[in-house]
Amino acid sequence: MTHENEHPLLKSARKEAIAALSIWLVVVTYCVWYCSTYGYMHPDRARYPSSRDPASLTYIFGFPDWIFWGIVIPWLVCTIVSGLFAFFFMKDEDLDN
Amino acid sequence: MLIAIAASADATPEVGFSVLAALLLFIAASVWLGSLAQKAMEKKDFMQGFFLGNRGLGAWALALTATVQSGGTFMGFPSMVYSFGWIVTVWIGSYMIVPLTGFAVVGKRLAQLSRQTNAVTVPDLLRERFGDARVGLLASLLIMTFLSFTMFAQFKAGATIMKHAWPGSGPLALSEDFDSSTKDAGSADVVTLAGWLPESPKYYIGLLVFSVTVVGYTLIGGFLASVWTDLFQSVMMVIGVMLLVCLAVPMAGGLEQASQNAIAATSPSIAFGPGYSTDGREFLTPGLALSMFFVWVFAGFASPASMVRVMAAQNTEVMRKSIFLLSCYNCLIYIPLIMTCIAARTLLPNLKKPDEVIPLLSLKVTEGFPFETGQFVSGLIMAAPFGAIMASVSCFVLVIASGLVEDIYAKYINRNATEAQLRRATTISMVAVGFVAILANLNPPKYLQALVVLSGSAGAATFIAPVLMACYWRRATALGALAGMLSGFLVYFGIYSCGWAQNWATANPKLAIAGRILSFLGPDPLIGPTGLFRPYYILGVDPIIWGLAASILGGIGVSLLTRPLSPELVKRFFDIRPATPQVQN
Repeated sequence: MTHENEHPLLKSARKEAIAALSIWLVVVTYCVWYCSTYGYMHPDRARYPSSRDPASLTYIFGFPDWIFWGIVIPWLVCTIVSGLFAFFFMKDEDLDN
Repeated sequence: MLIAIAASADATPEVGFSVLAALLLFIAASVWLGSLAQKAMEKKDFMQGFFLGNRGLGAWALALTATVQSGGTFMGFPSMVYSFGWIVTVWIGSYMIVPLTGFAVVGKRLAQLSRQTNAVTVPDLLRERFGDARVGLLASLLIMTFLSFTMFAQFKAGATIMKHAWPGSGPLALSEDFDSSTKDAGSADVVTLAGWLPESPKYYIGLLVFSVTVVGYTLIGGFLASVWTDLFQSVMMVIGVMLLVCLAVPMAGGLEQASQNAIAATSPSIAFGPGYSTDGREFLTPGLALSMFFVWVFAGFASPASMVRVMAAQNTEVMRKSIFLLSCYNCLIYIPLIMTCIAARTLLPNLKKPDEVIPLLSLKVTEGFPFETGQFVSGLIMAAPFGAIMASVSCFVLVIASGLVEDIYAKYINRNATEAQLRRATTISMVAVGFVAILANLNPPKYLQALVVLSGSAGAATFIAPVLMACYWRRATALGALAGMLSGFLVYFGIYSCGWAQNWATANPKLAIAGRILSFLGPDPLIGPTGLFRPYYILGVDPIIWGLAASILGGIGVSLLTRPLSPELVKRFFDIRPATPQVQN
């Protein structure tokens, strides 16, 4: 639904919004999937089929392994991606015109 | 969000004058920043200057204040980590992407629309964009309602902190469920003033000091005062967190050791989902984890307080820098705070009230400091949540006052108001808001706090459709915006209040009506946080998901069913302006 007279800011803002929400979708899917699969320990194995054995817990830089791969690494990746997004993908537009 | 303080008679160290001194320092700094802000406001246009800082927010100010997150960080978060363990990292996890979504989804367009409509408030912007006064009016009423509840509760919290900061009150506890009817076991002056004022005089003095200060500096310096004090408080917070993590974690023997100690003290479930529990509730199920990844993100860009900040950005370059600055800032706050509170299980093994974790930890880690600096440093750390409350209150008072003056006074009461009249209206509104807040807190209601927690999510559920449609959809109509707001709001509150009914019925099982409620809604599913005001979980997810969906469906559906906006109106906001600009208002 692109109109020829569309304001350039609108074009780039729309593109960036879709990109940002897509990144969010990737983050949600990965983090919630990873943590649900590797981070839960529950006696009710019917509800949590992948329940972990507590003895299997290891630590990476002090963090529980599933936290490290499920949240900490994604957090660092997001920070870098946010920086790249902000400095290379987003365009500056004149707000006053 | 609310933080309330309760005195504890059991724990040993006394706070002395350090916390009070730190609070007074915060207050003095805020008033000073307020007066600086007043000088910085160019005397161009009162409304634009007072309520939007003449759209001059730079990258640091925008980054550290836009998502209004600082108010919530010290709220129940540390006590949650202490109580439930590592799973709280997942609860807060979506903050990793909040900076990006916070600015990139609607930031540029809101800033542009705000200039095109000359809007000073969000309802202003929506009214102009959809060409219908009702949209602005409804938005205004809803915003003022949500924010008022949050704000009243914050006044109470601020007053309570001051009450307990008086030396000799015992250590501070940052409690979410402060029961105002419990008497402080340690304080001597539990004298009630007249029969109907249940609190001690210290509380009322604190309430007065807090109210006068915050309303005062916001009145003097307006939007800029609010932003600068928020900025100051954010900086103090990161310093506090860094101090704590660098002292507490090594003291506990390192992070891995801290986790193992925690496991030894409680159970392995403290290092796994759904979290350690003493009463069989699962704190964070996968469904709730998914919900939290919606809550922070959508409340981060669709809540009114965040939108106002973005509208005040200088330019898009500032927004881009803010994304990066805020991402780095978040890394320095959340994960270190979690590490600290895990370490707290080693350093403070038998905390009966987890809400006391930050105050007691600050005292403990600074014990070895020379020349009494330890007391002062820990006072500063403990005063950080106070700064957060002041920043939140200042922001909310401003947004409410802007609504009263711009959306109601200037539009309906006095259409040709002069600048002097606008100034007077602003002063009166702010003082009135402060006054009502004091009245609301004379006999502080106990459960306003629950409404506080709702307001971020409620704001998101209500405004998601109108805001997205305003920014990107030509076919959106005024009625669609109205429908989006109402459906989001009603669905969210409707579902949430079923939770209150369910909890009430569970707590009063003997009543017949309780049985009927429970047979209709189902029994307590034993998930989520403890407390009387939990939401109702449909399919195991937070109501925000249904609220967001309802808002979007309502907004899109009604827009398609109603007549489109006039092409001129749409062109004004979506197309390139013709070479000879039309006359704007």
